[in-house]
Amino acid sequence: MIDYQSGYILRPIYAPFIYLSLLGALILNLIPLGNHAWVPDFLIICIVFWNVHQHRYVGVITAFLFGLLSDVHSSSLLGVNAFSYAMVAYIAIAWHRRIIVLSMIAQAVHVLPIFILVSLFPVLVDWVLTGSIHWWGFSALIQALIESLLWPIVSKVLLAPQRRPLDVDPNRPL
Amino acid sequence: MTLDYQFKSLHIVRSQINWVLRPLEYLTLAPLDLTENLGDYLKTKSALEQENQAFKTRQLELALLANQSELLLAENQNLRNLLELQKRTAFKTIPVEILFNPPNPISQRVVINRGEKQGLKLGSPIANESGILGQVVRLYDHSAEVSLLEDREFAVPVQVARNGLRAVVFGVGRGNLLELRYLPVASDLEVGDILLTSGLDGIYPPGFAVAVITAIKRNSDQNSANVFCTPIAEVNRHLQALALIYEPQWDAKPASNNNLNIPAAPSGTQSGRRQTRSKGSQP
Repeated sequence: MIDYQSGYILRPIYAPFIYLSLLGALILNLIPLGNHAWVPDFLIICIVFWNVHQHRYVGVITAFLFGLLSDVHSSSLLGVNAFSYAMVAYIAIAWHRRIIVLSMIAQAVHVLPIFILVSLFPVLVDWVLTGSIHWWGFSALIQALIESLLWPIVSKVLLAPQRRPLDVDPNRPL
Repeated sequence: MTLDYQFKSLHIVRSQINWVLRPLEYLTLAPLDLTENLGDYLKTKSALEQENQAFKTRQLELALLANQSELLLAENQNLRNLLELQKRTAFKTIPVEILFNPPNPISQRVVINRGEKQGLKLGSPIANESGILGQVVRLYDHSAEVSLLEDREFAVPVQVARNGLRAVVFGVGRGNLLELRYLPVASDLEVGDILLTSGLDGIYPPGFAVAVITAIKRNSDQNSANVFCTPIAEVNRHLQALALIYEPQWDAKPASNNNLNIPAAPSGTQSGRRQTRSKGSQP
């Protein structure tokens, strides 16, 4: 795969790294940071990242399963996050060719609506089920904003193993 | 989602997933516990001695108070017996520890480390030393989810400590003050009034502090008062709390079948009152 940021060809992905990074993101999510609007959902950043870059490994079904875990952890209705993660995974896969060629900042702007959808989905579901909007729930927009600000950092970290050169020649470095 | 909301039928699935997830959650709590334990371990001897001294005096005071309250309790029960009033029910307590707040934009909850196997019940109130924190809303085997006072549409029946005025205090959601609703403009309330549980619902034992009034806006055009209050127990800070297991004889649960065993009074005396009975049983 071509790294559009630098123009080099990336090394092939090592599949266990994907699953380990997803597990790591899940554990980051479980850290008790409190119920604040600014706490980012690391899991959805990671899922969307792999949807964009390696959608053959992480697709809608993986997103759905991690969404179920997230539901149980966040004590919401079973299926809210599962549905929104799966929906967003579909959108991210549909957009992946467009997103991947953009510059980092443009990518962050492109994934912002995706994160907004995930963050506001529980509020929308609550609105549909109870018939009243919980206006303070819209503070979750801050979460989406922070997630998209984290996107460039996450891209750097998660692409790092693929950016290592294939054979290092100490005498003639590139 | 609909399955869970309408029929609450996915509890088995949820508890299975929870069974997998809980060890991971404990794992993420480990560093926090470790730093706390390390801090305790590295405390100096003099600090410990001071703390010990403070605890001893506190214990003496509490023991004195407890003796007094035993006396008052017995006296109260006797007087109630004399007056043929309903006896106050005692409640048991279970010490619990708050694990974490689940991140969720539409609810304010905490997860505690005791569950059904330790005797917790659905609806048990959770309190700490200063007042009510919330109520158990979802039970697992070894943990439970507690809705906090701040949770949206979370209602507690209260009584103003100063004059016994009854009201209901509602939660408004993340980071907002609590509200006292459905009160007329002329109601006798002041900023600084303390609200206690009234015990009318049969869920909360009476006399626990819930909130203190911080602001009152009276709208005479709508004949209503907007009253805002803050919870007395600091909801998001304490790690230790108590679950109260409280079952009064008179409670707000729906009438059970036991009512049918009561011999029916002559129909003339109950003409004005609609009796509830189970489907199919003849009056």
